[in-house]
Amino acid sequence: MNKNLFKKGSTRRITAIVASAVALLSGLTFAPAQAAPTVKVGVLTDMTGAFGIVGKSNKAVAEFTINEINKSGGVLGRKLEMVLVDSATDAAVATRVASRLVNQDKVAVVVGGVASFTRVAIRDVIAKRGKTIYIWPASYEGNECSNNVWNTGSAPNQQVDPTVKYLLSQGKKTFYLAGSDYLYPRNILSRVRQVVLAGGGSIVGEEYVPLDMTDPSNLVSKVLASKADALFEVVVLPGTGPFIKGVVDGGFKGTIAGTLFDEGINPIIGKQAEGLIGVQDFYLPVTDPFTKATVARFNKQHPEAAGLFSATFNAPAWYRSIYLWKAAVEKAKSFDTAKVNKAMDSVSLKNSIGGPVSFAPGTKHLNLPMYLGKSNADGSNTIIKSLGKIAPYECAKKQ
Amino acid sequence: MSPTMIRGIFDVLSLSSVLILLVIGMAIIVGMMKVFNMCQGELVLLGAVTAFLCGKYLGNLWIGLLLAPIVVGLFGLLLERTIIHRFYVNPQGALLATFAIGLVMRESLRTRMSTQSSPVDAPIQSSITIGGASLPIWRIVIMFVTLLLALAIGFVLIKTNLGMKVRATLDNPDLVSVSGISTKWMYAGTYAFGSALSGFAGAMIVPLQTLYPNLGYDNLILMFIAVMIGGLGQFAGPLAGAALIAVPGAILGQFISPVTGQILVVFLAIIFMRFRPVGIFQGGR
Repeated sequence: MNKNLFKKGSTRRITAIVASAVALLSGLTFAPAQAAPTVKVGVLTDMTGAFGIVGKSNKAVAEFTINEINKSGGVLGRKLEMVLVDSATDAAVATRVASRLVNQDKVAVVVGGVASFTRVAIRDVIAKRGKTIYIWPASYEGNECSNNVWNTGSAPNQQVDPTVKYLLSQGKKTFYLAGSDYLYPRNILSRVRQVVLAGGGSIVGEEYVPLDMTDPSNLVSKVLASKADALFEVVVLPGTGPFIKGVVDGGFKGTIAGTLFDEGINPIIGKQAEGLIGVQDFYLPVTDPFTKATVARFNKQHPEAAGLFSATFNAPAWYRSIYLWKAAVEKAKSFDTAKVNKAMDSVSLKNSIGGPVSFAPGTKHLNLPMYLGKSNADGSNTIIKSLGKIAPYECAKKQ
Repeated sequence: MSPTMIRGIFDVLSLSSVLILLVIGMAIIVGMMKVFNMCQGELVLLGAVTAFLCGKYLGNLWIGLLLAPIVVGLFGLLLERTIIHRFYVNPQGALLATFAIGLVMRESLRTRMSTQSSPVDAPIQSSITIGGASLPIWRIVIMFVTLLLALAIGFVLIKTNLGMKVRATLDNPDLVSVSGISTKWMYAGTYAFGSALSGFAGAMIVPLQTLYPNLGYDNLILMFIAVMIGGLGQFAGPLAGAALIAVPGAILGQFISPVTGQILVVFLAIIFMRFRPVGIFQGGR
């Protein structure tokens, strides 16, 4: 074989010209032929890294919801197409894949992010520079009010206020606040402090541990020494299990409450999860007919993620995010970002996991039905009380 | 004494014994063999995984405690014979190679776990009450096991014929090999032994924490600081180094915020390294 042939510049140039001509022609011929092209929905989550397990749940819920919408005719007569990208529990990766979604795939909307650092990293790429709707489907620390960004998880007041008020009503007067040292626990606990003091309780201690602290013995001893009536804890993984175990086994007499206890997290804590108090937008025992039927259908269609449908994995928020966007598009009768953004402000869903939801106008957050729950030793939860819709204190309506 | 004081003293003992136990394997591999073993944390992790699997499928963590050093020891042997031995002449290469090994081990576990982390129940879950403070028995067991293990290994290294051969091999391999001792298997055996100790430590401490992929990695920096403070070239130094950072850390943690405490301890370690770069025990060698 004569290899020299391929080294000749002229041959390469001709090939390049022919190739580009073909590309040009094919583009001209086929582009107008597509009748009702699909609309791309960007799904960004952590399929790998520390939050890989949450990503597995998110992906399944997104797939499930998009399939459901397509089966019932799509949005404005167009089918949805899911474009999944892996943010790998890494802010730098998240920025890169978010930019790909917006600039290459030209998605109409991005739903995604597990941790707040991801939201902060991708928010401007998508919503500000990318001029695309970004839906943040997670319970979080609050204060996200950027343009084109919509929050579908619970805001701090929706979880914290009813939890603290319940504890106060049970005669708990002294509170110890413990958390990991970053934005989420600090913001949540500052809300706790505010509500405790307003309700006549007192704070007997507040302490934060480094995120990578594997053995929180010191903090356990401080909590035990405080003899507080209640411990409000936002120590995140991997510290959660050892911390709660230490406090319970050390003979803590008070009640332990937090924002991250549900079917998704409790198995990590073990049998010491018994008696943990919290408020979520969904627990498995929520049994209104719509929720029950939808969750059952999900578990059947996605056996790989059965058991991962939980509030702390943001499953209900992912489901409603895509439907809320659909409702806004239909209301605006357009996929145009500015028009959808305007419609979002007052959009609502009659049917949603956990109950009906609606955006509280001007807040960029949802009026959410919330549930007060108590964890059992086997990791399951019992609903103490259905709290009904709670309004968010965010953005324009900060209190 | 008040229960709070008893608890405070207990925390100091417990936190230091946990770190010393974690460092024992590293004292052999990094301290004595001078291999910058970045996958030491994952050897701990492998021991923890072994214990977790025994607890899950056999319902018995004691078997896990027995199996962990065997499994991890054999793994260490395999690692040394296939990869590590190629890097004795190239310490920078060893740093990268072992980091890569650790990364592969950590991430392969992550893709196989169905949760972010899994709790492991201690073989003894009860507590005893001393002066009004409820103290978990498993932490007390760890204190005694750490003490006994450190003394036993020290004894073997200093007083026995085998220990002398090991030290001689690491000190002057050429002289030892002309004396008719197989340095190849001395190195392999020592690496395997250090691995086994780390595996055992992993199995012992996993009930205090939870099983998660970063279990070993999260402890690696503190372990390395302990070895650096203790000084390379011998076994006891790194253990003393571990005590030297764990004790102040635990005491400070009782009075100031754990975040400030951790920063302060690492800061003090840097100052110490500045004035005594060869470690605690070493003279002008």
